[in-house]
Amino acid sequence: MSGAAAIPQRFLSNAWKPLLVPGVLILIWTAWSLLTVQSDARMLVSPATFLSALAGDTASGFLPAAILATLLRALAGFVIGAGFGFVIGLAIGLSRIGSLALSPTIDSLRQIALFAWIPLLSAWLGNGEAMKITLIALGALFPVALATAAGCTGVGSPFLEVGRALELDRRTTIRKIILPAAAPAIVAGLELSLNISWLGTIGAEYLIGTGYINGMGDGLGAYLAQAREFARMDRVLIGVLALALVGLTLDRTVAWLSRRIFPWQAR
Amino acid sequence: MASALASTFEPGVRIDHVSKSFRVGAGEVHAVHDVSLTVKSGEFLTLLGPSGCGKSTLLRMLAGLDTPDNGDIIVEGDRIRKPSIARGIVFQDHRLLPWLSVSENVALSLHTSPGSAADKAKHVQALLDLVGLAGFANARPHQLSGGMSQRAAIARALAPKPRLLLLDEPLGALDSLTRGRLQNELLRLWKHENITVIMVTHDVEEAVFLSNRIVLMDPRPGRVRDVFPVDLPHPRKRTDPAFIALRQTILDVLEKQPH
Repeated sequence: MSGAAAIPQRFLSNAWKPLLVPGVLILIWTAWSLLTVQSDARMLVSPATFLSALAGDTASGFLPAAILATLLRALAGFVIGAGFGFVIGLAIGLSRIGSLALSPTIDSLRQIALFAWIPLLSAWLGNGEAMKITLIALGALFPVALATAAGCTGVGSPFLEVGRALELDRRTTIRKIILPAAAPAIVAGLELSLNISWLGTIGAEYLIGTGYINGMGDGLGAYLAQAREFARMDRVLIGVLALALVGLTLDRTVAWLSRRIFPWQAR
Repeated sequence: MASALASTFEPGVRIDHVSKSFRVGAGEVHAVHDVSLTVKSGEFLTLLGPSGCGKSTLLRMLAGLDTPDNGDIIVEGDRIRKPSIARGIVFQDHRLLPWLSVSENVALSLHTSPGSAADKAKHVQALLDLVGLAGFANARPHQLSGGMSQRAAIARALAPKPRLLLLDEPLGALDSLTRGRLQNELLRLWKHENITVIMVTHDVEEAVFLSNRIVLMDPRPGRVRDVFPVDLPHPRKRTDPAFIALRQTILDVLEKQPH
């Protein structure tokens, strides 16, 4: 009985701790806006202005649409890039020929900063959706390719010896031993890749075809670019906060999923 | 007639002038040097010795996981070239695949066996019953204790009905209570399956308790030093004067071993 009551109590006593730092920051922000007689709205707005802008942009659908557009774009780029990355990683990790043929190229290409691809990609693909998604996919590809290759080549000889002792054929060895053993590394690669997709999407939206410049852009990156052009500090803050919170949610969801899928990892 | 048969089929295990070296840095380590042994069908043989005496290397060569530089190993008339499920092996670390359930781990060694999935499932369940894991078919390895994991590993090795069971310090990582219990289990399984067992250990008492014959090995280079037959009836008692005397004899020989 006391045990059942102790669990929520312990949860409550810990639940507020992550909110401590944000809470203090909000307090400072509120105090600052109350104490400052006349502030420059281009530098920082008051919490009240911020909240009313947030309510307005949420009610009008402007902010939810931007978040949705960014999420869909990030996920599309992630799925494409991670898919190719996984296949390339398998080719490197499972086959000697694949490794010899692909490793040097992949290792060279991944030295190129993501945004250095922009001139090339925009020359080939223009500044539309195809270009943005290709850019995001490129960013998502390398972490998955590397993690998959490293995961497959790094399977410990104890498990591989079990496969040899049981006379497993190559296909069964890959299915029953190599891929499951590599899975945690692959998932770590996917997590990193999803994070890069999220960050890369904002960059792509911000830098390529923003709403302000040619009316083509949407998503949180375009939202931010527009807010900056019109010196809307309230919207800059909303955009930055939305990036942090949605990104955090993505991150935690994937971490939770991988704990569910690989319980033996959390020993 | 009998001699003609004996020349074509040779039961048991014959290790014939086997040597194996490993390159370590710039030098070479003679892990096993010119070892010859025969093991009778149905025998329980123990390879005993300090670390570095080549007992594990010899066992790995019996499994086919390592190949001899020189010499031959012949099991049931066949020269060993590669691993085979006809020779079950249990490692010191249980090496169950953590992503498979206990029954899936055992079933993995039946992948080449004929028979329906239902038959195999029945066989796996019977094996789990045999090693005392009846209620743990669906458990994951990380949910098992060390002793239970080793029982599951033994079931996996026994599943394809091997003629030879190779045990590489299977109880070395267990606490003494579990260890004693599993020693009795091994004896029971050995009799039940009517199988040849070759076990590596560095525990003299364990060797005397379990085996028909003890092969004492010397390190650097790994070679056979002495062979002790154990003519004590089962069940053996560790307090039996003959048991204690044999254990002491072997310990005395080990004391005099070069280090």
